Amino acid sequence: MNEGAGRGRLLPAASEGGPFVNADLLRKRAATAALLAGFRRQNMILVGLLFFTAAVAPALPFVQDWMATQASLVIIYILAAQGVSILTGQTGLVTVGHGGFLAIGAYTSALLAKYFAVDLSIDLVSGGIAAGLIGCVLGLIFLRLAGAFMAIGTLGFAFFVGAIVNNVPIFEGRDGIQMPHSHLFGMRLDDFGFYYVSLATLGLTTAFVYTLLRSPVGRAFRALRDAEKAAESSGVNRLFYRTLAFTISAFLTGVAGVLNANITGYVSAETYGDIWYSVDFLVATVVGGSSALMGPFVGGAFIVMVPFYLEQLADFAFILKGVVLILVLQFAPAGVCDLIARPFRDLRRKQLQRVQDDAAKTPPPALAALFSRGRQ
Amino acid sequence: MTHISCHGVTVKFGGIVACSDLALSVEEGKIYGLIGPNGAGKTTLFNVLSRFQNCDSGSVYYRGQCIDRKRPHEMVHLGISRTFQNINLFSEQSTLDNILVGAHRLAGSPFANMLALPSARKTQRALLARAHQVAELLRLENHLDIPVRNLPYGHQKRVEMARALASEPEVILLDEPVAGCNSQEVEELKDFVRMINRELGITVLLVEHDMSMVMEVCDYIYVINFGSNLAEGTPAEISRDPKVITAYLGDEE
Repeated sequence: MNEGAGRGRLLPAASEGGPFVNADLLRKRAATAALLAGFRRQNMILVGLLFFTAAVAPALPFVQDWMATQASLVIIYILAAQGVSILTGQTGLVTVGHGGFLAIGAYTSALLAKYFAVDLSIDLVSGGIAAGLIGCVLGLIFLRLAGAFMAIGTLGFAFFVGAIVNNVPIFEGRDGIQMPHSHLFGMRLDDFGFYYVSLATLGLTTAFVYTLLRSPVGRAFRALRDAEKAAESSGVNRLFYRTLAFTISAFLTGVAGVLNANITGYVSAETYGDIWYSVDFLVATVVGGSSALMGPFVGGAFIVMVPFYLEQLADFAFILKGVVLILVLQFAPAGVCDLIARPFRDLRRKQLQRVQDDAAKTPPPALAALFSRGRQ
Repeated sequence: MTHISCHGVTVKFGGIVACSDLALSVEEGKIYGLIGPNGAGKTTLFNVLSRFQNCDSGSVYYRGQCIDRKRPHEMVHLGISRTFQNINLFSEQSTLDNILVGAHRLAGSPFANMLALPSARKTQRALLARAHQVAELLRLENHLDIPVRNLPYGHQKRVEMARALASEPEVILLDEPVAGCNSQEVEELKDFVRMINRELGITVLLVEHDMSMVMEVCDYIYVINFGSNLAEGTPAEISRDPKVITAYLGDEE
């Protein structure tokens, strides 16, 4: 039998089933795969429904213009939180500096719009790329940092960006840059137009993030988060994947920055030179749940809507935000999404167990049977 | 054919010499054991062989090629895979995901994967099927969806082995595969190690304290003590070797 084994031929082609597989195992494998595919489909339908609702919502009778702007703001925070969750939730690198990437996206957009009257579509891409490039460099610089040191390093980055936009003349410091009204493909965008642009952007990034996290790249990120040595000995290039996570994360937050600049048409060091954005994004990621795909949605909505509903309470909103954060950390350390998803996950697990049991009524073959292949 | 060989390997941690002038040679298709009393430098040598540890002098060769400059993640691309002494798994993730990470070498271009290009989809399907095969090989097929931290210890050891196997290595380095296992689990793991070697043709080098495992499973044994080669030979030779007996049990006087 040894002559059949060797490099790359350790296991026969997947379709053949393999030397140790009997009919029971094959049935079980097929049933498991079908069920898992079903779960995936359920997830996708859920996200699809969410986007569909968001797309038709403006047609509802009671909707007013300000709601579109508010919803766009929520989307911007969701986008930024998606960026943070790739780095913090998936790769395990805590960042308190993503306000810096937001600023890079926003200023790229503002400068391009002011001096070159660039279309929003090009703005979105270039803002994202600018932030992504800086993220890539930052990832390389912070290669050896982890844990609290990484948090401090990224915090330093946010302050660094703040100092730059405050002091370098082209960014016009606290006076800020007034942008011309945003256009997409030559069309002037009203509030709802902008909302749809934001929604479409979020749709694209969500599809991308979903694909990414399910791919071997997402698995490599999570492997580095959970056990760096084991990941490396499995062939995961730490340098490459860390830098990649930084780049993608910065790109997404940079895109959010472009939208954030365009929603007000004005950027200044007063808002972007501060670290509050960075803190808000991190809080959004923690509240939503850093690992879940849906986490950024819940977290982003939380961060924008809580102060909005509590506007009359003025500073009290900040306190309440803190209280909710503590409650979340206490009772749902893996995030609100995890709390909601847990019963469903248990249900699915039971379902999977049942399917596996049904697929193979007989117990798995004994080791001896595995050795004498074909005996079944 | 010689798979892994090293000579003159010396590693110092400050003033402590963990390995001094160690040499060993691993031939294709056999099961090798590496034994020695506590603190003999077995794990350090393992880390040198898998490039987690630089050596102060000496060289490691794989198929005649010097691998002293390789980085740890490149080893699995060469065909060398390893497990860890204390279970080192992605504990929050499912068994299947752990095995899939192990198959990372076969995953193809990260950029194609990120965008789910058709070629990547095909590779991913093949990868998934292989992960299932490896799981079935180590009888883990009923635990695929369970986070590994919820599995019994013996199962976790098997997941660790499955992770290392999923990369389809030529050589597998097992660092204390049965440490902390009960006798039944030890028997199972013995069978698995034999199977990996006999059925899959993978060369095995294992560090182990469990003498029944070493004596029954290994074809050839290296004994080290205080960081130096003490003896080598077949299990029968080793169990009679007076130097080895002295090292383990002390002098008669």
